[in-house]
Amino acid sequence: MPAETAVLKAAVGASGEKRNSHSAGDMVSQALSRANDSELIRAAQRGDRVAFETLVRQYDQAVLRLALHLTGSEPDARDIYQEAFLKAYRHIGNFRFECSFYTWIYRIVTNLCLDHLRKRQTRREDPAIIMDSSGQELDLLDRVSDDRAGANPERDLMRRELGSKIAQALTKLTPRERMVFELKHYQGLRLRTIGEMLNTTEETAKNTLFRATQKLRSSLAPMRRS
Amino acid sequence: MKCDWTKENMVLYIYDELADDAKFEVENHIRSCIGCREELENLTALKHDMSAMPVTEVSPNLLAASRMQLQESLEQAEQNRSAFGMFIFDFAGWMNQIKLAPALTVALLMIGFAGGTITTWKIASNNHTIVDPGPAPTKDVDVASFESILTDPTSNNVTIKYDTLHPQTLVGSADDPRIQQLLLLATHSNRDSDVRLDSIDLLKDHAGDNDVRDALVSALRYDKNPGVRLKALDGLKGYVRNDVHVRDAVLEALLHDDNAGVRAEAIGLLDSVKADSSIREALEMLAKRDPNQFIRSQSQRYLASTPHLD
Repeated sequence: MPAETAVLKAAVGASGEKRNSHSAGDMVSQALSRANDSELIRAAQRGDRVAFETLVRQYDQAVLRLALHLTGSEPDARDIYQEAFLKAYRHIGNFRFECSFYTWIYRIVTNLCLDHLRKRQTRREDPAIIMDSSGQELDLLDRVSDDRAGANPERDLMRRELGSKIAQALTKLTPRERMVFELKHYQGLRLRTIGEMLNTTEETAKNTLFRATQKLRSSLAPMRRS
Repeated sequence: MKCDWTKENMVLYIYDELADDAKFEVENHIRSCIGCREELENLTALKHDMSAMPVTEVSPNLLAASRMQLQESLEQAEQNRSAFGMFIFDFAGWMNQIKLAPALTVALLMIGFAGGTITTWKIASNNHTIVDPGPAPTKDVDVASFESILTDPTSNNVTIKYDTLHPQTLVGSADDPRIQQLLLLATHSNRDSDVRLDSIDLLKDHAGDNDVRDALVSALRYDKNPGVRLKALDGLKGYVRNDVHVRDAVLEALLHDDNAGVRAEAIGLLDSVKADSSIREALEMLAKRDPNQFIRSQSQRYLASTPHLD
């Protein structure tokens, strides 16, 4: 296979590395395809709490997953989850069907996450240290089963080192760059949808993604050279 | 020029965000440009590296705990809303309705204007007529509260607005909607737990109704009297399998109710859904930590009789 063909195939995701963003993307498209949201929203607007809870259950796992990956902390992710859905409950009457419920709830969640990232940047917390609900340190990589044929302790150690360097590199992004990169790379959303969620244009989302990848490249360059 | 354009669009290319014609341009250029090909290799490698921090699935425990906490917050928010909602004028909502219904707005304005004109004319023509005050309260106890006292400076007239209380009795079939409505109200009676007990006892046979089921769930969660909570559990037993709210409430009682009798009853109700992962986790926790020996042994028994699916 010629080198350029191999690069092109890798770029468009022929290999398994895209699995994570793919599964998130599939989940999102499933969420998008869920019909009857409108009926549930109208019922929730009339004060039907059961209808609202049904809506919540369609999206809450995705919301929790996003908050957990962005904050790296179960207590923080739970707080964002609570606040997002309570806000949605209080303001569901203002929902005007101008976008999907999914975009609307994600807009609330991303705003809360952005606030959280900004506060953390001010406090200069280290997100590489991840906490579970009991306040104990947790390594997200521990949760991923490494059942590949060539899995061995040395490779595992390298993966951990890489993971920690990536976490460090991500802290160098602005909250907005971090959010756009998260939604694109890890959640697999289209840039147009990301623009809608962040109340901006697709063009701005593209530029932000460009800046984010440039920064990540320069942060991770020493590691690649070694 | 072509290289600059390609490099600017490379990120969009690797994330499959380019239109077909632009994608074709990039691919064509890369075939003939070593520099851009290297750039693409670097970006592809970066994309690959970034996947070393994957998005993990949310644990069932975290999801169940978050859902329970949210449900409590929503109930609290709903109670606050119903308590204060009637006193708060929703100006934004009103404006929106006006915006959406111009014809209705015009009609309402016309009716209001006509009504106001007629009333003013009547008052002007009967300046000294005293409005019939209606029957005065016969006893002090009839008056529940006073709303306002207004005096007319030009005459000796005083206008008193007050609310009265009259003990009333309603007799009817347990299926009568008015009886059901009163029973639902009685489940919140703070004065007498016997009243709550009796109302829950009567309502538990009508748990197919959503309002009744909500009242039973609310009693199970918040009633201070364990007897009332037990009755509520009894009423909910047929709905644990199909109603996820009921299941959450029973699970919550199982984990947090301070009464061992209620917890023991809750275990029995969860028998039909014991394979559910959140139920299993709760049972595992109870089997290890519950202070009550009976509950520990029951939890162990249920766990032993359920195959572990993980």
